[in-house]
Amino acid sequence: MLNLSGISKSFIGVQALSGINLDVRAGEIHALVGENGAGKSTTIKIVAGVYKPDAGQMEFEGKPVQWARPADAKNAGIHVIYQEFVLFPHLTVAENIYLGHERRNRFGFVDHARTRQDASDLLRKLGVDIDPQILVSELTVADQQMVEISKALVHKVKLLILDEPTAVISGREADLLFARLAALKAEGVAILYVSHRLEEIFQIADRVTVFKDGAHVATKDIGDVTRDRLISMMVGRDLKDIFPPKKPKGEPGKVVLKAENVSVEGRVRNAGIEVRAGEITALAGLVGAGRTELAMGIFGGLPMSSGSVWIDGEKVDAITPATAISKGVGFVTEDRKGQGLAMFLDVAANISAANLSAVTRNGLIDRRLENEIARKEIDNYRVVCRGPATSVATMSGGNQQKVIVARWARTSRKVLILDEPTRGVDVGAKTEIYRIMRGLAGEGIAILMISSELPEVVGMSDRVVVMREGAISGELTGANISEEAIMSLATQHPTGKVPTAEVLAQ
Amino acid sequence: MTALAPIRLSSRLRANQGVLVVAALLVILLIFGAFISDRFRTTSNILNIFEQSTGLALVSLGQTLAILTGGIDLSVGSMISLLSTLTSGLIAGKVSMVLPVAIGILLLGLLIGICNGLLIIWLRVHPLIVTLGMSAVLQGIVLLYSLGPAGSVPPSFNFLAYGKVLGLPIGAVFILVLFLLVALFLRYARLGRYIYAVGDDEVGARLMGLPRARVMLTVYGFSGFCCGLAAIYLTSRFSVGQPYTGLNYTLASITPVVVGGTLLSGGKGGVFGTLLGVYLISLLNNVLNFMDVSTHYQLIAQGLIVIAAVSIYVEKKKRV
Amino acid sequence: MVDVSQARATEGPAISMKSRLSPYALPMFLIALIAVSGIVSPAFLSTSNISNMLLQVAPLGIVVIGQAFVIILRGLDLSVSSVMATAAVIATGFSGQNSDVLSILLIALGIGIATGLVNGWLVTKRSVSPFLATLATMIVLQGFRFAYTQGAPSGNVPPLFRLIGSATWHGVPYNMMLLVVLAIVFGVVLAKSRFGREVYITGGNPTTARLLGINADRVTIIGYVISGALAAIAGLVLSGYVGIVDNWVGRGFELDSIVAAVMGGISLSGGQGGILGGLFGAAILVVVFNAVLLFGLPVQLQIIIKGLVIVLAAAFYVRRRI
Repeated sequence: MLNLSGISKSFIGVQALSGINLDVRAGEIHALVGENGAGKSTTIKIVAGVYKPDAGQMEFEGKPVQWARPADAKNAGIHVIYQEFVLFPHLTVAENIYLGHERRNRFGFVDHARTRQDASDLLRKLGVDIDPQILVSELTVADQQMVEISKALVHKVKLLILDEPTAVISGREADLLFARLAALKAEGVAILYVSHRLEEIFQIADRVTVFKDGAHVATKDIGDVTRDRLISMMVGRDLKDIFPPKKPKGEPGKVVLKAENVSVEGRVRNAGIEVRAGEITALAGLVGAGRTELAMGIFGGLPMSSGSVWIDGEKVDAITPATAISKGVGFVTEDRKGQGLAMFLDVAANISAANLSAVTRNGLIDRRLENEIARKEIDNYRVVCRGPATSVATMSGGNQQKVIVARWARTSRKVLILDEPTRGVDVGAKTEIYRIMRGLAGEGIAILMISSELPEVVGMSDRVVVMREGAISGELTGANISEEAIMSLATQHPTGKVPTAEVLAQ
Repeated sequence: MTALAPIRLSSRLRANQGVLVVAALLVILLIFGAFISDRFRTTSNILNIFEQSTGLALVSLGQTLAILTGGIDLSVGSMISLLSTLTSGLIAGKVSMVLPVAIGILLLGLLIGICNGLLIIWLRVHPLIVTLGMSAVLQGIVLLYSLGPAGSVPPSFNFLAYGKVLGLPIGAVFILVLFLLVALFLRYARLGRYIYAVGDDEVGARLMGLPRARVMLTVYGFSGFCCGLAAIYLTSRFSVGQPYTGLNYTLASITPVVVGGTLLSGGKGGVFGTLLGVYLISLLNNVLNFMDVSTHYQLIAQGLIVIAAVSIYVEKKKRV
Repeated sequence: MVDVSQARATEGPAISMKSRLSPYALPMFLIALIAVSGIVSPAFLSTSNISNMLLQVAPLGIVVIGQAFVIILRGLDLSVSSVMATAAVIATGFSGQNSDVLSILLIALGIGIATGLVNGWLVTKRSVSPFLATLATMIVLQGFRFAYTQGAPSGNVPPLFRLIGSATWHGVPYNMMLLVVLAIVFGVVLAKSRFGREVYITGGNPTTARLLGINADRVTIIGYVISGALAAIAGLVLSGYVGIVDNWVGRGFELDSIVAAVMGGISLSGGQGGILGGLFGAAILVVVFNAVLLFGLPVQLQIIIKGLVIVLAAAFYVRRRI
């Protein structure tokens, strides 16, 4: 059905794909796996006509094709369910589902009653209970995902692409989705399924393709690979070589950051957490469980509706990022470009950004001092760049991340919060960031890491706090830390129902 | 309204809160006006308000659609100046020229609007800038054509502005019909729905393969067409067009749209809110006139209304 | 890993843009423009014409400096022309003697700063789009001005303003000296000071700024205040240039200042550009306008050129990703 050969694509300064191959057949579920930054999303966007490849050939239904715009791919029968939903918040559920395929009466006008009725039927067929008349913005994230999925069922698709569809939904909804996919497969639809969750890949896929650092590693029948083999193909080395050794057993560190009873409107309910000096504490849970919001609330980046925060034993009232920073707390955000970097400034300015007073003399920035500091940190963290005046926008994700860590490590000598620290970072840089994090913990800094990657949580943390639906559902330490234990805390049902075979995000 | 909005009642009430406020304000002003002056209550005064609001309503109608897509049309003022100057200039007092010129003016408005749309699509520049630039270009052109009032129209031409059907001003009736048609278009035509979708999430609309280009051309073309209508109406009203006729309409056309609850960020709102906004502003000016408030202060009042409206309707600020 | 010699060579300013033109592009363009104009019309390079152009650059340049702060902060300020006109009206509102210069200056600055505060408050605390916020304050201020002058201002500009606005010292206009001083002061503030760095970070991304502990709202409000204050000064300078003040002094400056800034590489999407670029933009604009007149072309062409320039410059600098 779909055949990509030798596709390459680069963005300013970064080679995202180098000559990848991929073929997806009619009537199969083809899994595409790889770490963050392996080039999966870029591949999807090329197939969908969002990006144009720099080189290589794309064939669809046996004919070479070139999409000028997403509409071309769509008209050819390709439907993509993106990880970031394409939903229109001010339109109703029904309108969203039929957008572009409006139900019309015989005069050609949009038939709202029929749209509503059909949407309702479709959602019921899918097995979810969503009112088609409400605005999409009023739905939970999981329900939004189900609406996104139902959009794919509206019209005849030949190739269905799903990018991490289960990242925000629970086991029951995932089962509904898998049943639907099986039915589509039986109808001869080709399905390209991108996911981090290896369990479900073994459950539903026929073949699997592995990408690593923008290159094709292997394509195998699912029966020919094991879980461990898949992981080592994705990562390119054994897991134990990636993570630095943990803190040796012994006295737990002093509590440096303590939060109690924290609530953030709509996202976090009465959560408390302690982070200890010299330790890496992980905050785990499903996407949407409220981890980022809890950490942001503590940092002062989101308004807390209740709660108290102690930093180094001292109670901090009405916390703002500015006070948190002055108390020695730093926050490496998940969204590097949107919340972390000053994209138009250079490396030196980005490193000094959290503590401008350190480079300010008489109200003026001491550029020479700033450069000197930057040069030191560039060496220190092995940042690959042309020097302090390199524009951060031209650097790779891994090096950008190192710049941000360097920035905070200078000012935040007490607590460093890192939200998905290795997202969009290649394996080499990943290992280095792990080493840096462990090194900072060794210097006595309390580290709080938010992560959706279970191997990372298990491999890095001395202590794991798990969140579910906005509340803390448990804590694990030492030898108790395992993927299964975290999973069970992240998904078990609060009402006491039997926990289903739910899986953790990614 | 029920027939027009199948959204569940609770969401709908929340969505239309602002429009209800405007409607309430309208009623309060009416009552207030009735108290302060006997003349206010006369039918002729009420009809007068309708009559005065026609030009503004026409421009704001086009503006509403542009704003619904998340854009804006800042060229409306200059466009009206140009088109109304051309109207009287080309008719030059000849009855025989009225019809061909009127058709030509409407087409020209449409064409200029489509130019705006094409530039927005091709240059990938924000509509604010494109239409701002277009505004300057058109102002220059109209001044090249004439530095003052140009030509004249036959006396019968002001029938459009002052004529009545069944005792109602032609303009006001025309407005009601036109607004209704556009409302139906927005609600029941696919393209109408896409206008909302593009305004809601332009990138998403592209990913969904929606015809963004067609939406832009329609919206800005229609805005240009509305300017043509307004220009003809205003020429009829003032008996002559001059290069500054439209000067104040750029801001003035945005005010009722915002007051009527259409989000400047696009994707939400509608033309009925705009119509209410138009009437509210005309009524306010009328009441202020009766209170002998000078036009200077009316200007202040209008600015304050814009500020109040945009700060009320602004969506909850996200703090991260 | 890091080549030291290379690192040493890059001790430049902190702003580095991927899409920035060569720093020589603007001056080169200006020089080319002047050369071509001089060839087409020798009168262009006459002392009196050059001195005349310099006189015209100053008021625009002063406004552009303020506009630069606001645009780098992801905004724009349409109220500048209204502030200018109001300041000019104030300048004639007294006896017309030099003794009133200080009161005039204080009142004008007060109005500029107050307008800036209102603009900044609306933009930051009320989330009003800068375009609408400043348009509204522009209108409101205009209303107050009309009410104050009752339609037609009368009275004279104090001689000191006349001197600064229109006289020259050995061919160099006094207002040009004022512009240079202001440009240096605010140029240093923007490019070298801590506040300037905060402006760039906030303009690049307000969320990032907030999470870095920067009071993004305060920085933005100060930006609008600077713009308002400089517009007031520009209004006084312009009143000295034109001599006779009406309600519309400074009309068109809101657009001209934005056009100049955008042409000078100050991106409307924020976080990029500098004052020097903006001033080059202003100079180019003045030269173009002057050439239009000198070539005997209809004056209306100025407006048309302005419109084309704003669209083309934007197409060049601020293409959207859509």
